[in-house]
Order: sequence, then structure tokens, then C-alpha cells
Amino acid sequence: MKTIRLGGIAVAILCAILFAATDVRPQQEYPVTARTLKNGMKVLVQTDRSIPNVALYIFYRIGSRNERPGTTGLSHFFEHMMFNGAKKYGPGDLDKVMEANGGANNAYTTRDVTVYQDWFPRSALPLIYDIESDRIRDLSFDPEKVKSEREVVASERRLSVDNENGGVLDEQLWATSYIAHPYQWPVVGWMSDIEHWTMEDLKHHFEMGYSPNNATMVVVGDVSAEEIFKLCETYIEPIPTHPLPPPVTTVEPPQAGERRLIVHKPAELPLLMLGYHVPQTNSPDFYALNILRTILFQGESSRMYQRLVDKDQIALDVSSAIEPAFDPTMVEVVAQPKQGVDPQVCEKAIYEELERAASTLISDTELEKAKNIRLVEFYRQMRTINGRANTIGTYEVFFGDYNKLFEAAKNYSAVTKEDVERVAKTYFGANNRTVATLTPDTTEKAKQ
Amino acid sequence: MTRAPLSRSFLAFATLAVLVFSAASSAQTLHLPPHEKIVLKNGLTVLLLEKHGVPLVNISAIVKAGATADPAGQEGLATVTAGLLRKGAKNRTAQQFSADLDYIGGTFEAEASPDFTAINAEFMTKDLARGLDLFSDALLRPTFPQDEADKFLAQSLDGVKAAKDDPRSVMLPYFSGYLYGMHPYGHPSGGDEVSLKQIQRDAIAKFYEGNYAPGNTIIAAAGDFNAAEMKAKCEEVFGAWPVRAVKSVVIPAAPSAKGKRLLLVDKPDASQTYFAIGNTGVAVNDPDRVAIYVVNTIFGGRFTSELNEALRVESGYTYGVRSFFDQRKAPGPFVIFSFTKNETTTPAIDLALQVLTKLHKDGVTPEQLKSAKSYIKGQFPPNIETSRQLARTIVVHEFYGLGDDEVNQLEARVDAVTPEIARQVIQKHFPAENLVFVLIGKAAAIGPAVQKYAPNQDARLLSDPGFWPAPAAGKK
Repeated sequence: MKTIRLGGIAVAILCAILFAATDVRPQQEYPVTARTLKNGMKVLVQTDRSIPNVALYIFYRIGSRNERPGTTGLSHFFEHMMFNGAKKYGPGDLDKVMEANGGANNAYTTRDVTVYQDWFPRSALPLIYDIESDRIRDLSFDPEKVKSEREVVASERRLSVDNENGGVLDEQLWATSYIAHPYQWPVVGWMSDIEHWTMEDLKHHFEMGYSPNNATMVVVGDVSAEEIFKLCETYIEPIPTHPLPPPVTTVEPPQAGERRLIVHKPAELPLLMLGYHVPQTNSPDFYALNILRTILFQGESSRMYQRLVDKDQIALDVSSAIEPAFDPTMVEVVAQPKQGVDPQVCEKAIYEELERAASTLISDTELEKAKNIRLVEFYRQMRTINGRANTIGTYEVFFGDYNKLFEAAKNYSAVTKEDVERVAKTYFGANNRTVATLTPDTTEKAKQ
Repeated sequence: MTRAPLSRSFLAFATLAVLVFSAASSAQTLHLPPHEKIVLKNGLTVLLLEKHGVPLVNISAIVKAGATADPAGQEGLATVTAGLLRKGAKNRTAQQFSADLDYIGGTFEAEASPDFTAINAEFMTKDLARGLDLFSDALLRPTFPQDEADKFLAQSLDGVKAAKDDPRSVMLPYFSGYLYGMHPYGHPSGGDEVSLKQIQRDAIAKFYEGNYAPGNTIIAAAGDFNAAEMKAKCEEVFGAWPVRAVKSVVIPAAPSAKGKRLLLVDKPDASQTYFAIGNTGVAVNDPDRVAIYVVNTIFGGRFTSELNEALRVESGYTYGVRSFFDQRKAPGPFVIFSFTKNETTTPAIDLALQVLTKLHKDGVTPEQLKSAKSYIKGQFPPNIETSRQLARTIVVHEFYGLGDDEVNQLEARVDAVTPEIARQVIQKHFPAENLVFVLIGKAAAIGPAVQKYAPNQDARLLSDPGFWPAPAAGKK
């Protein structure tokens, strides 16, 4: 997914996905045709012939929350292995054949899901189904590929965590904020786990997570629903089901007091990250939380930008994020303090703004602004076949129904100023927060 | 934090550079939608492209002065000027501008690249009048208030420091500086810790006066509007911009590097080495540009490229490697970029060089050519899918003097590339013996081993102010 950089902090446009939609137009403008195959895989199709291309997403409901200590990062590693050879398309064949036919692919793994993406010209349609069915049914595990891919993932970890201040702090924040639930470990996995997965672990993961009835397929573009369902009958429907992953039963106990952590690391600037526990994505508070976050963090007129960046001039930027999640998750807040500013000064200003939102109603203009922003975000996601495939699938998987995408309008309109005050009060108190600070270590010894 | 989920491959190296592939693009079945060009009485060029679907409008302007127009010692001036456009205008304070823009869910971004300054905005069709008013207020009537300039400069200064905390985001300034030296393409577009301190509010106003003028600007609008109505609105809104004479920016020819040299930027805590290898590439209008696109796709432009096959798929040295030609008015850099753990620094670089040598020795196979052609044609359409992309495509084409054929003839031009043409392009445009290396990593761990790559070696600390050459402190 896309990442833009703002003052040195990766501010991902990530999962703004869920953060869309105040559409007042009827759903018929973006009609979706759905069918559940005999093996349990649900398929959603939307026709859009504006370009001769197709975006195909497969969401598997398995991620790092389905892992356990010792094999953390396995879902993500497995995602890599899904490109390294099956029965018909051997190691390296998948990418070579797909690109030679004009297609490209990627995949991503989160705490909750593993998602495979194909983008291709219409002409490659049967080929893509042949490839996808081959690897879902008959994935193979070449020991040599496991070895080299392990190194690739280690490199990915060094890039996105070890050598990236935001990555280090984010990892520590989740590890501190969660003490029981599997959200505590990083999606990429701890380095020592990356080094020690076994072939048995991989095979077990495949059996656990990759049953067709644990997946949702979304196809958007220059296709008809009929032709997609026909391809599915040929290629996907014969794939047998197997047992679903065991449910994740661990519930994170309520946090009863602030937790703090410090990372000392050579760095040019300090960094501040806060985490607040909030409910899972399909909670009724989802909409009010997003309206609150918009008012506090989105755009240069937002309360936090106005306060920290513009008025007090203590931060380079300040932002917040929330990822789609099956279980109670976190709203994260990131502030990049200016040079010479103690991160605690930023903390204090953020707390004051949160308290203000929890004790005084927002203005009508702010509420209206937030709803307008949600509406435009909706159209930004709807304007590409790729954005539609990802958004439709995300709603289907995390809300249990893609129609929620088209009902979001109604749900955002229903949010009141009182709702916003209530969620600010409920979730953004001191006892519910974890505070992570990166402190630049500038001594020569520390650098060695 | 706002972290992207872990992806299998990062396709774009978005923080390093943007491939200008407006310059090579599309398919017989695909054409740019019809659009029209008008020149207002004040000399402003306006391009209009109707595209219905989602109710959004995109405005994309180019002012024909970018970072190369920065005066020596004030690198970053064009970037700061662009950034301040929204921070105070005749009809709005910075705060009012943001409030008005956010209320309609609009976006406004302005930034300088080496060749030009780009100002992009987006809003809903129903807010067209307000959106155009905001856009024109910032572009035509900025006031550069002293306090906003002070704030912005202080933020930019810290922004350079923050960027250095992620080596990926500073590789290009180091590489460009080391490759181009005193040529304007060598200086950091965003400025550095020394140059930004030399910029005063008056210099910003002067830069604006000297470069932002209707005759020096192109504005493209694309999206959900009626072109005739839009034309009238543009005449009303932008027609009032007074004519002002400006000097055009001349970019001198960029020499390519001879021999081999290496800059090692020491990041003492690094557990991996980031490396860039390359030389001066080609200009945006190079007659070989499509053939270069095809060959580079095979060499380092996709997942199954020769480079990625060797350094990622077969050896596991890295999460990703890519090569690109950053095409500009004058020849921009050609770069091979990757990263690997400290221990495999020289094996990975050796392998990248072997792949380059092999390209020169063996060329590309007919099978590779066929695959790359399909790939380019199959992957192109999503590049011109949205009004945002279309506005940017037509405005960039207009600036560089390229026509719609860049898109409309792309398929034919791609198909015309033969193995023999590929061979010529490799000899002519892909460096072999003359190479510039920039490494950001732990000097204590990799310093001795990387000496073998070049007889001329330079070194500095990541935390030293500036990039390369070392900025002259206090230079006016």
C-alpha cells in the first residue's frame, strides 16, 4: 500500500479504507454481485469497463493473531511462500508467467488477514485463475526457497523495523500495550522466530488458514459477474475445504493504568507514539471514532495540527491511525517533535486537546467538515478498480457484509456531537494509554 | 503509527525517486481522452479534460521553475516558496485557507522538483467554485507572511533531520550530489541544514516574483465538469493574473561521470547497507526513451527483472532491488538501488555489477523482450485511470513539449523494439565501466571491503550537515 512521507514519518494512507464513505447516493451506482461457491468461498464482482484491466483480491482470514510465541511472523512468511511454487507453476514460474502476460501481483499481511492482489489485462483472466487455483490447492515448499525467502524476510524486517525509527517504536508500543492477546507481537515476527520456523510450521499454517471457506475473492474491472462465476466453477469450486483456524479466544484484559516505554537509539530527532485501546472494527463506535480522529488529526485545520505544529510549534507533524481489526485494537497517535523539544511537551499538548474533546462538544462546522472529508475519501477509493476491490473486500471481511460500505453514509450522518464527546471520554483517558518515546542516543559508544 | 501493512514487495521505492513515466506509456486500444488547450490573453496556458465518473475535479499546475532555479547557497528556495503558497494569501490567512480547504474535503499540495514546481489540488464537483477560488488565491496572490515563513523554514530544517533517520529517503540527494557536483541537478531540492538557514522571507518573495507568472505557468484541469463552463471559469479566475516578465531557467548540459568513485556515508548504528550505483542517464525527450523503458523493465524495472531475480529471488540478499532512469529536461540520473545486511554488502554489490556486465555481454533475449512488452502494455492502463493522473500527465507533457503520442503510440513504439535496438540502447545508455557508488551504512563494518569498487573514495557522517558536496557554512 502506499506510503507518503511527511517530515520523516511514514504516514500511510493505509486503511483510510475503512475510514470512508458518507455516500448519499444509492448503492446501485456501484453494484456488486455476490455468490458463495460450494466450497464456501464468497466471490464478489463489480463490473467497470473504463480501462481494459482487472483487479483481483483474495482475502484470507488469517494473520499474526493466529500465531503463537516461537513462530511469530509465520503468516507473513507464508504469504511470501505463496509465490514460490506449486504443482503446475513451479518456483519462479508464477511471477514469470504472470508478468509475461501483462499481469503484476503483490500481497500484504496484517494482524488479522493475508491478502493477495493481482492486477492484469482482461486477456490474462483464465491464466490468473489457473495460477490462483494451483497455489491454493497444491502449494509446495521447496527447502531451497524456504532458505532464501527467510533471508528476504529478514531483510524486510531490517528495512521496515530495525533501521526505521517509527518501525522500532511501533513494535515496542504494541508489545507493551498488549500483554495477553496476540496483537502484542509484530506481523513481520521477531528476528529469532524468523530464523527458526520449520517446514512443519509452514505446512501446518497452510492447513489451518488456507481453506476456501476462510477466504473472500473480490474482482473488479473489465469483467462480467457471469464469466467470473464460470471461471470460479472451473478453477476454484473443486478445491476441497479443510478445518478453519481455531478461534482466537484470548481477550486482552482492560488496561488499568498508563504504561510507558523508552527506546534509546542513535537518531537525529526523538519520536513520540501513543496507543489507546479501542473496540474492534465492527463495533458501533467505529463511526464516531473516525469522526473524532478526523477532527483531531486530519488536515492542517485539525485541532492537533493547529495546536502542536502551527500554534505551539513543538512538532513537525502529528497524525493518527487505526487498522481494520477483528479484535479490540488501538488508535495510534504519532508526533514528530521538533529538534530540542522534549517529547513530553508534545504529550502534554496532545492530552490537553484530548481532554478538551472529552469535555466540550465539537462545533457544528467541525462535524460537518468531518462528514464532508469522509464523503470525498469514499470517492477517492471508488475511482480506481484497485481501490474498489480493496475497499469492498475490507468491508466484507471486517464488517461481515460489503453492503456496510454503502450504508456508511447513513452511519456517519447519524454521528452526533454527543457521540464524539462520548468516545473521546471513553477511550482517550490516561489509564487506557501506552506512551512510547524514542530518545536519540548521541554518545559515540552507543553508536558502535 | 500509520504503518503500511507488510507487503510482499515494494514496487515503487516511493521515497527514493519518482519514475517519470509520463514519458513512455500506453496501448493502441488506449488513448488519452480528448482535451483542449487554450492560451489566455495574459499568456497562461490552460488544458481542459472532461472525465466523468466520480464527482471529483483535479487541477494540476506547473510553474516552469524548480529546484534548479535556486540561487547557490539557498538550496531549497523553490521548495519553500511552493510550501508557503497556502500559508497566507490576499483573501485568507494560512489558518483560513486550511479551514476552507478541509471543510470541502479538498487537497492542495505544492512542491518543487528539479525542473519545475507542481501545484495540485482536488475537490468535489459541487465545490468547484470554492476550490478554484482557493487554488487561485494561493497561486496568484500569496503574501508570504514573515511569521509563516519563519515557521516553515524551521520545520523544513527539522524535516531534513527527520529524513536522515530513514536512509531510503535521503539516498537520492546524496547520490545526485555526488554524481552531479556543482551542476544544478546536484543540489538537494529540499535544501539542507545549512542552506535553509540562509533563506530569508524577502528571497522567497523575490523567487515568486521572478518565476510565478502567467506566461511561465501551465494549468491542467481534469475531471467531472463541462469543458465549456470550465473554460469560462478559468478565464474569470486566472485571466486576472497580471502579465509579468520572467527569465526562463536554463539547465546546462549534464556531464556524465568518468571512471569510478565511491561515497561512503557513515551511519554507525546501521545493520544494513543502502547502496546506489549509476551515472547520468537520459533526458525526458531522448529518442531512445521507449526502448530504454523496455530494456530497463527487463534489467531492473519489475519483480522478475534480472536484478531482482539475482539479488532477491535467487540469493535472498535483499527484500528488493530496482533500477530506474529519472528523466528530466536535461539527463537525470540512472540508478540501481537496493539494501542488504552489513555482512552481505560486497556479495550483493558484486552480484548487481555482474548483472550489469551480463546485460552488456548478452543483451536481452527475444523471450524477455516479448514478456517485457506484454508487461508494459498490460500494466499501463491504470496509470491514466483517474482525473488526477490525467491532469498530471497532460500538464507534464505540455511542459516537456511531448504530445499525446507518448500515450497513444506507446504500444506501437514498444512493439517496434527489436533485440538489435535493445543492444544499441544498452551500449549507449547503460553505464558499464564509469560508475558512481553511494553507500549509506556502518563504515566500521563495511569500509575496508568496499574500497575495491573505486580508486577514488570519499566519506562523511550521516549526521554531518548537508549532503554532498559538503555545504559551505555561512555562504551567502
